[in-house]
Amino acid sequence: MCTTTPFLDQLCQIVTLGGHFRWSAVGTYLFNPYIVETIWLVIGLAILAQVFGTLIGLLLYFMRRTRFAASRWAANAYIWFFRGTPLLVQIYLVSYGINYIGLDPPLRAINFFPAIGYSQVQMYFFVAALLALSWNEGAYMAEIVRAGIDSIDPGQLEAARSLGMTYFVAMRRIVLPQAARTIVPPLGNEFNGMLKNTSLASVIGLTELLQTSINIGNALFLQLELFVVASFWYLMMTTVWTAIQAYIERKLNVSVTDFGPGQGSWTQRLLGFGRRGPVAVAGAGGINVPADRGAR
Amino acid sequence: MQGQGPGYPGGYGQPGPLSSGGQMAGGGPIQGGPMPGGSPPPASGPMPGGGPLHSGGPRPNDGSRVIPMVDARDVHKSFHHNEVLRGISMQIWRQEVVVLLGPSGSGKTTFLRCINHLEKINHGRIYVDGELIGYRELPNGELREDSEANIARKRAELGMVFQRFNLFPHLTALQNITEAPIRVRGVPRAQAEARARELLAKVGLADKADAYPNRLSGGQQQRVAIARALAMDPKLMLFDEPTSALDPELVGEVLKVMRQLAEEGMTMVVVTHEMGFAREVADRAIFIDGGVIVEQGRPTEMFANPREERTRAFLRKIL
Ligand SMILES: Nc1ncnc2c1ncn2[C@@H]1O[C@H](COP(=O)(O)OP(=O)(O)O)[C@@H](O)[C@H]1O
Ligand SMILES: [Mg+2]
Repeated sequence: MCTTTPFLDQLCQIVTLGGHFRWSAVGTYLFNPYIVETIWLVIGLAILAQVFGTLIGLLLYFMRRTRFAASRWAANAYIWFFRGTPLLVQIYLVSYGINYIGLDPPLRAINFFPAIGYSQVQMYFFVAALLALSWNEGAYMAEIVRAGIDSIDPGQLEAARSLGMTYFVAMRRIVLPQAARTIVPPLGNEFNGMLKNTSLASVIGLTELLQTSINIGNALFLQLELFVVASFWYLMMTTVWTAIQAYIERKLNVSVTDFGPGQGSWTQRLLGFGRRGPVAVAGAGGINVPADRGAR
Repeated sequence: MQGQGPGYPGGYGQPGPLSSGGQMAGGGPIQGGPMPGGSPPPASGPMPGGGPLHSGGPRPNDGSRVIPMVDARDVHKSFHHNEVLRGISMQIWRQEVVVLLGPSGSGKTTFLRCINHLEKINHGRIYVDGELIGYRELPNGELREDSEANIARKRAELGMVFQRFNLFPHLTALQNITEAPIRVRGVPRAQAEARARELLAKVGLADKADAYPNRLSGGQQQRVAIARALAMDPKLMLFDEPTSALDPELVGEVLKVMRQLAEEGMTMVVVTHEMGFAREVADRAIFIDGGVIVEQGRPTEMFANPREERTRAFLRKIL
């Protein structure tokens, strides 16, 4: 079925796994609307989980920084648990947990996804996946947030407090915008992982990209072909994200060493901190400023 | 006695503006303090009528001057088992410029930080403008740490200038100055910016409003830092070695701003080893060593005739 030219035939045997793998089916289902629509579901789930995970990471940071032992203990126990058990197990735990406490009927009653065209997607599964992914992510973000905030000179917080700012105002206005420069690169890597980890939600029946591929593959006896389709789309998402991440980091890299005109606003815009003033006028390089700082 | 703040617990019962000995020995707990000998009261200084140093500044001659701007009483501070302040008592009067001197590690920075409660104290009390700072006193006389909002509100009235400037690197010079008035006091942005420009002009940096800190020289950064503190209209300015991180040729521009502040009547506590500044601007020098006040007096007199051996040894090294 391949070709009569001996060499090309051998090559063809290899890439079609001896004629069993149907590339034409891959082509047919690559842009299958049921497949394609799940891409947005995956991206939406990943973004939401990353946002909540980051907020949980921040919360855990503050819980670990209070003088209340119980709060520190709770935060450490949380991190210990979520970093010490498999995400897959956590997804099962949350999903069945919701079921056991009787929250699934009200969730099943929510018709949000069918209303926006995702007839197969159930709110119950989506919420379970979102919670498990965010909670798990929070444990990892806690470390990243801590590294970012701890990288800021304590003199910044002191100066802010000496001006009468309370701890939280000083954190929000002074420390976090600076820490964001350290936090954003690993945050980008986390999001890359998050895009792929959404596939674990298939085990509880969320019809995301992987589960949809499995369903179609099973129905048509084209399992392997549809796994290739799924791989292709995961690869597309992570590739595009890597490009976006590289762009963000290029922007940030300049400003990590140089809070100069324009760059100073980047993380502020990225994380929604504050308002940007007029573009700075570059003054003469100061004596305590290394010469290379001036280069942009 | 007129003008006493509600939170201020007497102890300064001498009538009227301070009697001649008032400044240092006037009935305060300082007598019991660790100051050996106590130097004689300065002939002039921050008393009404004013010394020659302050001829330009306004000098209210009212009862409010009886309450010291800072009244530290037997302040002790330890880090773990290392007792850094071992009973510091001092009063700093309105419009007075006090220079703190002492070898490295003697506790000068720690004491300044206690004044605005960036550091908790283990024993003693610090009153700022008649009010206990950092703590509130329970009816039974015990101290409890004050609420964060109260502490922040009091800190907002005290300016602090750091050795390493600590400007906010992600904000322009102007934004460094407007941030606290806007966030802490709720001053409208336009008004805060107008005031910030005035202050930048005052410290000689009118053209640097939009520059980020790393575009400024150390001297310029420190002047922005002073303007940032002044933007909160502090009643007291604390300077912690404001020029010691600067290249020598940039020290003068910062001292000039500080000198101008002193002339305008700002109450200032300055940790510095700039003896010229101390001599010409300060009303009083206090020498601290090992967490206690060893000696104090008018800078010119103290530098010329230190009475304590430790002071003499220290001055020999830095003069
Ligand atoms: N946060 C801290 N933790 C532990 N020890 C400290 C801390 N801050 C200061 N010290 C110690 O307190 C002593 C006095 O420090 P400091 O007040 O900075 O002295 P100075 O400003 O006179 O040089 C030093 O021995 C220093 O090591
Ligand atoms: Mg010091």
